[in-house]
Amino acid sequence: MATVQEFSFAEFVKSILWLTFWILVIFTLILLPIIFIVLFFVPAPEIAGIEMNPYLLLTMMVNPQIGAPLINLTLDQPFFKVAVFPGFTFAALFATAIIFVERKFLAKMQIRVGPYYAGREVFWWARSLEGLLQMLADLLKLLGKEVIIPAGADKPIFWAAPVVLVVASSALIAVIPAGPGWVIADIDVGLLAVFAILGFFPLTALLASWASNSKYPFIGGLRALHQMIAYEIPLILSVLGVVILSGQLNLSKIVVAQEPYWYILLLPIGAFVFFITALAELERVPFDLPEAESEIVAGWLTEYSGMSYGLIQLASYIKLYALAGLFVTLFLGGWMGPPPLAFLGPNAPSGVDMFGVELLSTQEAVGILWFVVKTFGVAVLMLLPRGINPRIRIDILLRTGWAKLIAISFINIFIALALLYLGVAGPAGPVGVISP
Amino acid sequence: MSGAGGMFKAIESGTKHLIVRRFTLRYPEQKLKFVGDGYQYDPKQGVGIAGYKGRHILYHDKCTGCQLCAIACEGIAEAIGMVKIDKTWNHNKKSIMPQIDFGKCVFCGLCVDACPFYALFMTDDYELAAYTKEHLIYTPDQLAVKPKYQGNVEIKIDDQGATHG
Amino acid sequence: MGLPPSMQVEESEEGRILTISVGPQHPGSGHFRLVVKVDGDIIVDADPDPGYVHRGEEKMCEYRNYIQNIPHLERPMIADSCGILYPFCLGVEEIANIPVPERAKYIRVIMAELNRCIFELYWLGIYGIFLGHSTMFMWPMGDRELLIDLAEAATGARVTHAYFVPGGVRNDLPENFKERAFRQLDYFKHRLDQYKDIFYNNPLFLDRTKGVGVLSAQDAINLGVTGPVLRASGVKHDIRKIEPYDVYDQLDFEVYSMNTGDSYARAYVPLLEMYESINIIKQALEKMPSGSVRTKLGPNPRGPAGESFKRVEAGRGELAYYLVSDGTAKPYRVKMSVPSFRQIPAMSYLLKGSKLADMPAIYWSLNYWPVEADR
Repeated sequence: MATVQEFSFAEFVKSILWLTFWILVIFTLILLPIIFIVLFFVPAPEIAGIEMNPYLLLTMMVNPQIGAPLINLTLDQPFFKVAVFPGFTFAALFATAIIFVERKFLAKMQIRVGPYYAGREVFWWARSLEGLLQMLADLLKLLGKEVIIPAGADKPIFWAAPVVLVVASSALIAVIPAGPGWVIADIDVGLLAVFAILGFFPLTALLASWASNSKYPFIGGLRALHQMIAYEIPLILSVLGVVILSGQLNLSKIVVAQEPYWYILLLPIGAFVFFITALAELERVPFDLPEAESEIVAGWLTEYSGMSYGLIQLASYIKLYALAGLFVTLFLGGWMGPPPLAFLGPNAPSGVDMFGVELLSTQEAVGILWFVVKTFGVAVLMLLPRGINPRIRIDILLRTGWAKLIAISFINIFIALALLYLGVAGPAGPVGVISP
Repeated sequence: MSGAGGMFKAIESGTKHLIVRRFTLRYPEQKLKFVGDGYQYDPKQGVGIAGYKGRHILYHDKCTGCQLCAIACEGIAEAIGMVKIDKTWNHNKKSIMPQIDFGKCVFCGLCVDACPFYALFMTDDYELAAYTKEHLIYTPDQLAVKPKYQGNVEIKIDDQGATHG
Repeated sequence: MGLPPSMQVEESEEGRILTISVGPQHPGSGHFRLVVKVDGDIIVDADPDPGYVHRGEEKMCEYRNYIQNIPHLERPMIADSCGILYPFCLGVEEIANIPVPERAKYIRVIMAELNRCIFELYWLGIYGIFLGHSTMFMWPMGDRELLIDLAEAATGARVTHAYFVPGGVRNDLPENFKERAFRQLDYFKHRLDQYKDIFYNNPLFLDRTKGVGVLSAQDAINLGVTGPVLRASGVKHDIRKIEPYDVYDQLDFEVYSMNTGDSYARAYVPLLEMYESINIIKQALEKMPSGSVRTKLGPNPRGPAGESFKRVEAGRGELAYYLVSDGTAKPYRVKMSVPSFRQIPAMSYLLKGSKLADMPAIYWSLNYWPVEADR
């Protein structure tokens, strides 16, 4: 057995200095020239009459009043929308919060305490929020573990599969509107893009399982393939009712079309079918056959360890956020909702502004708030079956997916057509009975 | 999938349990209380006295070095060995006393049953973790120390569920 | 379709058969190896391969005297550690003619029933894992704490009690045991009622276990299964009623059986047995006389040369001990006939022709405990 090195303070200080040295070298020799080259080509905005330069940036750090217009400008950039909100950072943070809430929620249902000790001694106000830093602890643990590749595994695909999964899951969130005007890709075929990306997941599961060169991932990958393909059709059919009533494929316009009544009130069956098939696409209990622990160890992700496993879990929970957001957008009215503080009258806080510069208008702030609340509620509802149901068997799964759910979604389409012809709802609003 | 009614009942049962109190014992903030102070044996009656079977305690003023505890353990775990001690006692002519290796002991308490002199009992202490195997061998002087274990919770049942409190 | 080289595939006339070793290190099998041949999703052949944890328990018994055998013999089944050596104590008492006080008999019945409930809850929890139901794992494990707390108050240890000895039990119950037991057993009964909604009447659970692995009554008798498996196939056979030992003939309890013989029945009969166990414990606590709990013996009890055969209804089924003594303090031969080992032919018989996804449901419903089967 290897002996453990004794801790030496001199070595510790030396390593910190070495790290600092290299950070400074890379910053000055590489990063600063890149910044200057970029600024040379990108037209700099004007702040208070002066053109933007790095010295102005440093001044802004101590005098935020000058910085407010710059922050306003940043919020309008497409890069901000892609990277921060409602893009990848927001999705990843939401996914992490959902994992934590799942663990505590399931624990409460099972009369036990979930994560308890992480973060308990750190902050005095964290004692009542037990285990708040558990996700950080798990992240650090996964980063520190060795990634073991089985012998004979297909190395390029083995390394690429988790990354492709994260990329595909993140691509789903590009069309979901988180607020009025807050959508990364405002395309007219948004819903079609969602289905195209969803069709990609069976392929990634199969690639991940095939590249592992082992029996259990093989069986798990085939099961995942069967399950996801079987449940894509009811997913698409259940959304067809929404498309009929709104006449749109653009998700932002579908949200606006739910002005009088949310579609869950008009098409409850469609919402139910969408919810069930979303659970099947996410491989959550009761549909978690691809990772059925008692039969096939962990299914198609058996051989993944360390950060590869962490990436797969991240992809899974970002997909949960995406499908919950899609449910909210299609059936629950997206970001629409009454202003929560309207009862305060004319003195109600309106929007978010900073030193006179308006960052978010009232409508935007209220919309984002309602979207986050609704998505969180739907995500918690998706976590509920894990505490209540056992796993379903593959033949019952396929029978349900191919026969029963397709039949129910056809009933839903007929209801949507009936509502259209009765004039209750439709692209042109309630118009009364359409005469032939 | 048969029985939507059954599914509703299952969901209702699951969500009803969100308000039941949590049962977990939050060790080390909460430690279980035990009744009495450890398993003891009365050689005159030939029967034991109920108590928790934790670490042993050796009363030096009663132990005569008869080795009956070591002989009893020979067929079970071979965890007791007799060692020479420095102090001389009147009732312990050979000056030997048991040392117990808690790496091997299974805490069955048959050594306590074998002692005819009320010298070896067991206590409530179970927090015996150590960093090396040698630290788990308790010499007779270490065994004479009274434990400082303080339990503070037990199972309480009320109409909102059972909990440790 | 070219398969990766790590899989053994045999070509046969019916199709391609894949051999899977549900091996000793598998979340779905315990310390037990099941070599399964599947054709698509149907199991063609299942070959149980026990012996991974064989330690030679029976041989090691010959090197220890009767009292030293007690901590040794409770190891094959530590979750039911009073039940696994019950016939041993009864056998030694028969050989050496040791009288047992009445109070000790009642306490032995109480502890045996408590251990039966502890084992059944553990079994139910693992059944929940096998079917993917995490709540059904957590709830029985949590409720088991109520019973283990009682066992710890009486014997001093949570599992591995080392409590029964030839001649009675090692110590008397503590003073407030009766009130504590009644309170916790009432709450435990209330908890058992909660299992029905979320588990036994859950449509997904019913889909997975109703009609799966059906064992008819005649087949059950022919294959030699015992315990809840036999009672779930319609044969009302319980050693506590046929050959009552200790004070079971003075207590009033029922034996339940269901006549469907599928995995659902094998999962439901233990629940009914747990209700009856609560009943038995309460009756025994009421009727218990006062007195001593142990016959005073020397440290090396021995009896004349002879043999004895005693059997007991443990949590898994009929457990029997055959003891041969040659007049010395150490037994000449101890033979344990454990119920888990008896279920192996039924496992092989039921798994043939069923789906691969049904394998956990059938395998664990047969009440198989690998450590006990291997001894």
